[in-house]
Amino acid sequence: MPEAGGALVARDGQALRLAAIDAGTQGQGLTAGMTLADARSRCPDLVTAPHDPVADARELDRLANAMIAFTPLVAPDPLDGLLLDVTGCAHLFGGEEELVRRVLAAAGYTARHALAAHAAAARALARYGSGEDVRALPVAALELSEDKLSGLRRAGLTTLGDLASRPMAGLAARFGETAVMRLRAILGEAGSPITPLRPAEPIRLETRFPEPLARTDDALDVIEDLLAQAARIMEQRQLGGRRFLVLLQRSDNVRPRLAVETGQPVRDPAAVMRLLRERIDTLSDPLDPGYGFDAISLAVLTVEHLPSRQMGLESRKEENEDSVAALVDRLSVRLGEDRVSRLVPRDRHLPERAQGLVPAKQAPPVSWPKADERPTRPLLLLDPPQPVDVIAGVPDSPPQRFRWRGRLHDVRLAEGPERIGAEWWRRRGGHLPGGAGDTRDYYRIEDAEGRRYWIFRSGLFGETPDPRWYLHGLFP
Amino acid sequence: MFQNHAPSSAEPPTDPPVTAGRESLPRLAKGQLHEVHAGGDGWASALAFSLAAIEADDRRPVLLLRVRKDKGRTRAMQMEPCGEGWAPLGLDPARLVIVDARDDAGLLRAGLDAARCAGPAAVLLESWGRLKEYDLVASRRLILAAEQSRIPIVILRGDAEPRASAAHTRWSVSSAPSTPLETRAPGAPALHVELQRRRGGPGGLHWRLEWNEEHGGFREELIEPAQPPLDHPPTLPGAVVSLDALRTREPLRRIA
Repeated sequence: MPEAGGALVARDGQALRLAAIDAGTQGQGLTAGMTLADARSRCPDLVTAPHDPVADARELDRLANAMIAFTPLVAPDPLDGLLLDVTGCAHLFGGEEELVRRVLAAAGYTARHALAAHAAAARALARYGSGEDVRALPVAALELSEDKLSGLRRAGLTTLGDLASRPMAGLAARFGETAVMRLRAILGEAGSPITPLRPAEPIRLETRFPEPLARTDDALDVIEDLLAQAARIMEQRQLGGRRFLVLLQRSDNVRPRLAVETGQPVRDPAAVMRLLRERIDTLSDPLDPGYGFDAISLAVLTVEHLPSRQMGLESRKEENEDSVAALVDRLSVRLGEDRVSRLVPRDRHLPERAQGLVPAKQAPPVSWPKADERPTRPLLLLDPPQPVDVIAGVPDSPPQRFRWRGRLHDVRLAEGPERIGAEWWRRRGGHLPGGAGDTRDYYRIEDAEGRRYWIFRSGLFGETPDPRWYLHGLFP
Repeated sequence: MFQNHAPSSAEPPTDPPVTAGRESLPRLAKGQLHEVHAGGDGWASALAFSLAAIEADDRRPVLLLRVRKDKGRTRAMQMEPCGEGWAPLGLDPARLVIVDARDDAGLLRAGLDAARCAGPAAVLLESWGRLKEYDLVASRRLILAAEQSRIPIVILRGDAEPRASAAHTRWSVSSAPSTPLETRAPGAPALHVELQRRRGGPGGLHWRLEWNEEHGGFREELIEPAQPPLDHPPTLPGAVVSLDALRTREPLRRIA
């Protein structure tokens, strides 16, 4: 039995097809594009995983950025290639072999590589060749359509060397301009420029003062000025900042830092200034200029795309959303991020777990599922559920009377039970009898004075020796 | 709900028009400060009333401000809104933004910031006990902010004695017995609401509100003042100071 290989599977219309296969599978007659059913019949113990092209692209992007360590000119070659212009870089790493070894180690994947004088030649050699001779490459390296390639092969032209020895005009007439252009690029007769990634210049601004700045207000004015400059830079690049850092350098080498984060990208200096003032207010010691500030620098650490916006007559709604976002930012800075939150639904079974609080700054509002035909839920949940003393019939009756906080409540009306099982699938050993936790029977009850409660018995009679009752919610 | 009394948003912030005798329940108008008193047991009722009676746009966020001591230090009972329970009362829980202040002073400060912001549909402040920071000056500040931003501010006061304040209305809300269903099950939400004080109008009016399952919204029914329910003393101390609703003079200043 051959060793099991792996493959990535993507849905193509109605069929599941192999999108990519690994080295372990290649010898077994599997190819990318084959349906999963065919592949399984040839290789029953095939290990599959879903294909995620977005993650692939992101990973390629990450690799390209990591390659900046070797050369400033890196171009991604989608879907799975990288072009590095290492002109003048190899000697820094002790020669080309050493450079290649390091690049492959940094990439961390099984990779093929080739070195050539031109990007197109190196690319063709890495993808289709084995040696260093571009003339020995198969015609497939031209990446033409399948019928043109078979036309070339039928004409007896199998390598690029065969093509190169023939007049180009005839090739162009028969197989198209593209074929000639690619051939000339691979042979080095035409240029094959790459468009390297340009790492965005970080937004850092600094002001140095001839004399130390002794007043906090002046320092704040300078910061506002820096923010205005940063806003202009960000406006040009259509960016907005999410994290701002202000570094103040005092003459006695103390460097207070002020950092603020926003929930939405912002450019407006006034908005950032408000957050900074909030931050200064929360400092245990106020911003003390001491002997004065020598320099103040501002860095926008995290940026996001923020298109310019035209102020329209009908922009009232957006303004409102902006002002709530700004308020959320301010309160998050003052109170802490986890103290300004939103309710989000969670796909859980127990009522207290079926929702969660997430910081409002990080989470956009999520839509809640439509209330279905489920029994109604209370408006408020008591956290934790409050133990109450109850008089109730056994085994399955609503309570008749209960005592909470020293007050006796006579139950006038009751509805239930709504049985909510424990989440046995989340517990170790939950599938074993008695391992799941207690089943809850919820009742909606109304006492003699008209107050409505949500009360539950934790555990069934027979499951637990002495089930306890808890108050879990209030209805209006 | 309460359509018959909804002033259009173009009007300046005025008190609800005063008509003697039988009248419909005034809404918690925009640009005003409203106090809602309730006990711990009736907290859900107070919230439901505030959200239903508030005069607000129904897509913008609603801010709920409350006090939470540092987590982990306290094991006291807390009341968390239950998203699934809000939706049937016509409020999308996704609109809710919850702000946890550390203490009462922080609550009022955050409330003032929120009141100055025109973005939210309404601002609800949950407070418990005496709330000594809440006085004439603090309430007047909230009103000035609300007049600017044209949003309603509701301060929910749990287990608290009414205090002198500049609020436009003061309500007391509790649960009322519901109309039982056929199976002796509790019926739709029902509230007992008392308008204790109102600036420029008579107070001491009682209503019974019952949720209308078919159409949404509360159906109201005026209870004759002659028979106040037993658990509500007819008069309560603490006056709403009469101030002009439309500010024609200098702002109120603290006199030492």
